[in-house]
Amino acid sequence: MVKRNIKSSISEDIGVTQTVNENGKRAAEDDHSKDGPKRVRTKSLYRQPTVNELNRLQETESLFNSNLFRLQVDEIIQEVKVKEKTEKKFQQFFTDLKTHLLAIPKDDTEYDLSTNTLAKKLKVKIPVNEQLMTTKCVFQFHKFSDVEIKGSYGLGCSINSKLRVDVQITVPSETYTKNDSVNYKYHKKRAAYLACIASHLAKLQTIEDLQYSYINSCETKPVLDFKPVGKLGNHLSVRIHLTCESDAYKLHRFSPERNNLREAWLLNDNTENNSDVGPPTPYYNSSVLADLTASVNQEFLNEFLPKSENLKQAVVLLKIWLRQRNLKVSGYVVCLLLAYYVQNKRINNIMSSYQIVRNIWIALKASELDTKGISLHKGDSAPSIEEFHKHFPVVFIDKTGYYNLLWQMDLGTYSALKRECALAVEMLDNGKINSFLPLFMMPLKPLMKFDHLLRFKNISQIKDSVLAKASKESKVNYGVEQLSLVVDILYNLLAKGLGNRVDLIQPIVEDDLSWSIKKSLDKAKIGVEPKLSFGLILNPENSMNVVEKGPPANLPEAEQFRAFWGDKSELRRFQDGSITETCVWEGEALAERRAVTKQIVDYLMKIKYGIESTQLYHVTDQLDSVLVRKQYRGQRLLYVEDGALTALQAFDELRRDLRQLAQLPLDISALYGVSPIFSYSCPVPALPRAAPHNPWKRASTCLIKDIQRDGLAVLPEYTPVCKAIVELGHSGKWPGEIHAFRCLKAAFHLQIAESLTKQYSIPTQASPTHIDVLKNGLVFRLEIAHPKEITLLRREKENGVVKYRESEESERLQCETVLLPRLRGALHGLHQKHPSFGATACLFKRWLSAHLLSPPHFPSTLADLMVAAVFLHPQPAQPPTSPTVGLYRVLKLLVDFDWARDVIVLDFNDDLTREDITKLEQQFSEDSQQCLRIVTAYDGPSPAPWSRLAPSAQVLARCRALAASALSYVEDSVLVDYKDNILPMFVPSLAGYDVVIHLHSSLVPHSFERVDSTPRLQKLPESPVDDVIPVVEFHPVLKYLEELRSAYSEFALFFHDLYGGEVIAVLWKPDIKEDREFQLTNATALKPISSKGETKYGVNVEALVEDFRILGDGLVKSITVN
Amino acid sequence: MKATKRTQDFKAIELKLTKDSSAPHTIYLKEHVVREHTQDRPQGRTLLVVNIPPYADEKGIINAFKDAGHVQSVQLCLKPSTAEVKTVHRFLPEANTTTFRAAYIVFKKVAELDKALKLDELRPLNSDDHKVKVGINKWVQEYNDSVLVPAILKKNIETFMSKFDADSQKAEEKEKELEQEDDEGWVTVTKKGKVQSFARTEKVENKILKKEEKNKKRKELKNFYTFQIRESKMKNIVALRQKFEEDKKKIAQIKQSRRFKPF
Repeated sequence: MVKRNIKSSISEDIGVTQTVNENGKRAAEDDHSKDGPKRVRTKSLYRQPTVNELNRLQETESLFNSNLFRLQVDEIIQEVKVKEKTEKKFQQFFTDLKTHLLAIPKDDTEYDLSTNTLAKKLKVKIPVNEQLMTTKCVFQFHKFSDVEIKGSYGLGCSINSKLRVDVQITVPSETYTKNDSVNYKYHKKRAAYLACIASHLAKLQTIEDLQYSYINSCETKPVLDFKPVGKLGNHLSVRIHLTCESDAYKLHRFSPERNNLREAWLLNDNTENNSDVGPPTPYYNSSVLADLTASVNQEFLNEFLPKSENLKQAVVLLKIWLRQRNLKVSGYVVCLLLAYYVQNKRINNIMSSYQIVRNIWIALKASELDTKGISLHKGDSAPSIEEFHKHFPVVFIDKTGYYNLLWQMDLGTYSALKRECALAVEMLDNGKINSFLPLFMMPLKPLMKFDHLLRFKNISQIKDSVLAKASKESKVNYGVEQLSLVVDILYNLLAKGLGNRVDLIQPIVEDDLSWSIKKSLDKAKIGVEPKLSFGLILNPENSMNVVEKGPPANLPEAEQFRAFWGDKSELRRFQDGSITETCVWEGEALAERRAVTKQIVDYLMKIKYGIESTQLYHVTDQLDSVLVRKQYRGQRLLYVEDGALTALQAFDELRRDLRQLAQLPLDISALYGVSPIFSYSCPVPALPRAAPHNPWKRASTCLIKDIQRDGLAVLPEYTPVCKAIVELGHSGKWPGEIHAFRCLKAAFHLQIAESLTKQYSIPTQASPTHIDVLKNGLVFRLEIAHPKEITLLRREKENGVVKYRESEESERLQCETVLLPRLRGALHGLHQKHPSFGATACLFKRWLSAHLLSPPHFPSTLADLMVAAVFLHPQPAQPPTSPTVGLYRVLKLLVDFDWARDVIVLDFNDDLTREDITKLEQQFSEDSQQCLRIVTAYDGPSPAPWSRLAPSAQVLARCRALAASALSYVEDSVLVDYKDNILPMFVPSLAGYDVVIHLHSSLVPHSFERVDSTPRLQKLPESPVDDVIPVVEFHPVLKYLEELRSAYSEFALFFHDLYGGEVIAVLWKPDIKEDREFQLTNATALKPISSKGETKYGVNVEALVEDFRILGDGLVKSITVN
Repeated sequence: MKATKRTQDFKAIELKLTKDSSAPHTIYLKEHVVREHTQDRPQGRTLLVVNIPPYADEKGIINAFKDAGHVQSVQLCLKPSTAEVKTVHRFLPEANTTTFRAAYIVFKKVAELDKALKLDELRPLNSDDHKVKVGINKWVQEYNDSVLVPAILKKNIETFMSKFDADSQKAEEKEKELEQEDDEGWVTVTKKGKVQSFARTEKVENKILKKEEKNKKRKELKNFYTFQIRESKMKNIVALRQKFEEDKKKIAQIKQSRRFKPF
């Protein structure tokens, strides 16, 4: 195989002059004989290919995912590469450092480490905690022989950002005695040794920020961190690791079955017999083994890794991928994993970096390190893998055969890793997205990734209560590193309790600490608490089960089930006749069912460890209160989904009725819902309400009474309609003239209404444009749609030839009657698949509206589509299952997506091919009139109709700014402050608007549904209105806004909260103060201003404000001009 | 025949809603003068007013000009235009948009127009016996008006359709007439005539063009000459290259937006 040079690209070849193929040239001239610059490009397109180029073009398809992928890989590798200048500078710095370190003075004194003598002499503290301090041991400093650069920098696969150079110092074996392996004496001496180096380094002028640190709560094994002085310090920092010469101890002393930590020492229990060896301590053993085996493994890596450029690139890519996902897998482990798969011939060094990475992902996805561990060791001297499995959750044995490289990894992290690998392969195989970006460029924060975050408020208290019930063996095993034990125990509890409700439980531990070398560890720890949380990804199918079915009562397992669940477990008889132990959780409403996991966690923590639910903090349903109706309630609280469900049921009945209508000239062939309520995404859905009291009636509809109270009109309560489109059977007899067509449509409306009333005796009201039907207390507004009407609107005559051109009206009609029904159907399907879609869309709409960006500024359908994008393109995560997290993701999309350049393509049912998508993207990159583009598979010849008219660039910019601040607010509240109320994210700022119009709140529809109003919870009637259609769609505020916008859109923008907003905020256009020219056709709102004898014209702003008051007569309370 | 020479400049004057309106709009008026006057805007008696505020209605305007004399008619329109308004027979009335408008006010007498042009002050739009409908009252009325008794709707439909049928009948007859030879022996070809013809639409024209092109293509030989084979190979490479170039462009774009910094 030809060895490739990755960096060579065609662009280099273009510069080379080529002999032009005769035919090629002619073709070029035919195509572009007119413009010069284009021809140059074409010429190079038609030049003879070189072998090199042919190879590259072909291999790209086979060796890399796609051309684009390859170029992006090259680009990112270039980006994260350490700059040559830095490397040179560091080399210089390191030589100085090395000479300084090697000049460390000899010291033959023997120190007793249980006293302070050494610390006093060195003038730095020894980095060990109180518990270890008391152990007696004698320490003498032996000089080390070498200082080496190890780790990723040494192997040449480091990442430029937050670069840390690992420097390794090997402690001579004579430092340790034979007995030091037990009871942390080894660690103590190691710390003392580190203190000696720290004290010596403190004298060096060229370094700063010298600190002790420990990582991953490994507080017994501190390291030294510092930075070079000057500019170099901005680029990198240095970390000194201590390892141990491998001949210090025989490795089998640290086999997993051996005990090296005495119970008596750990628990300060002197009464027990000291000769008792105690349970095995594999965890403790591993912490020593890590030092002992370091050199062997490092050598192994040095053997093959630096030789292969592609392997190194693959390591870099994997490291970037891991870091974006915040998975606790070190670069060291990645390198060794690669080594393992090279050894197994799964990958080799002539593969491209893309192939290596892909193969690693596939291998890890299928790996079962929790049951079938892997080993780099060849030979049979070492303990068996089964032995390791007994003591470690995940097993990957190193070269020596004694050390489990993944000793610190818990099962949760491993399953997260596997899951991410599976997702990565899935993304690579999905040709419809540019998988590179979600794989390598997008950081995947916990809030993005998880549906439910469980956090602990007071970690030390939790630790105590959990440890009080932990077994002695495990306590001895983990020694002083109690947090790891707690994580382990809690993980197992959650995994057992939540079972198949969750797809993943990932512990997130933040327990790194850096502290000054002058401070003792215990003092440094004051005020710094480690953070522990568990991220849950819920299984969309099982997570909402209310009933946890256990084993049948007569089996022995039932006893265990009862023991685990305590009082919650009860005997139940099911419909299929089985009698089993069962736990039943509360959850009648869908929203309550979403919180079942929360109930389970709270319950288990309480009964198992006595941890009160106030100690726990869940990030999952913070915003559910926005989804509850405040004005009304049924048997229980009404969530948005309940309203939609009632409407859908009534709609289905209505559809059946319509289908069976007799005596219509044309049959009704289909009925489509178009209102948001039909896709569960209406924040305040229509509800069946009581019959109006003593109504004025015309035909079967209520009229608005002309009554006043206290000088204010008394209006009937706002009743929305659910709009639907009726399709009739085919007929060629529709008239070919638009007005006659509409007249005939009206006739059909009339006839359908009459026969509905006649056949089913339900109240109907026909109007020229629609029919209102009352069904189950809800009003449906039906409109007949026919494609001919659109054609008629498009039709125009030019030179006697009939042509069809899109007009504003035809496009609107096309959207409303052809595209929207299909789209609504698809969104409804999406909600069935992802039950949190509807609620998320409601939250997003409420949020937009709360910030006064309700339609038409940000169209409602576009909001639906944007939410759908989060569910259809969830990469790099999975679709969210809780609305609160869903809203977070939508806002994140709004902020992070590059709207100016990219297009979102929503393909609900996989209707589009890859070529279609590319074509769509190209089409849009050429015309960039819209500032936001979301295309669906249903759009037809002119894509992205939903974002054509709005939002404007200004509104989008404001949206993004608001979303960014909302995001940072949410992150602060839930990740730092443990706030349960994050509703302030729905509070708008009225600053910056020029005029604020205050409305009478009694006339504002939905004013009880405002985020800040207190719930009234009137009970809905048992039997809703059934004899008369109430006053529908009478929304005075919208009427008012409509008039304002139609009259004054030239001068001002109007903002309003659709869901009970009592103010209208007005923003003048920036040119309002400028002088205007007076023209016959453009004299709108001008007033003459005479200055210096000249008459100029300007906009009569005072009169406009006066107009606002006049037009809103009876509705406007007051107007404030800022 | 102008009685007096009138100035052609606009005169600015304030139009109030009520007597105590504090910030009224300024309307601009002048005589409506065009070469050919239509019947509804007679010469010498018509006043052109622009910048009429959105809430003003005909009765209000008549009231405002009461001091000048009797107003015969008021025509409100979106833009001042000389073209005659063509009335299309519509089934649904045109939506009433709220916006600033222009008005043609026709006075009964020529002298009244002169007087109107000399006015210093207008009466307010609202008078004792007429109040301009705005706000809640207007919307309530609109809503209540929109509710139709089925019988009335039926009647509307029937009247419209019978008129439409009559009109189309007439048009058909007219077409038939055209079919007849005229004095010079010409026959107009129409859609429904005896003479075979095709519809003059874009679609049909395109269809014919396409058919012709197809015929042309069918005669062409493909993969016949060596150079054609060579060209098709080249085309393949060019397609690959083009894709490569496009991808590179994309990368450059992404690079520009600094998106290759992963952290």
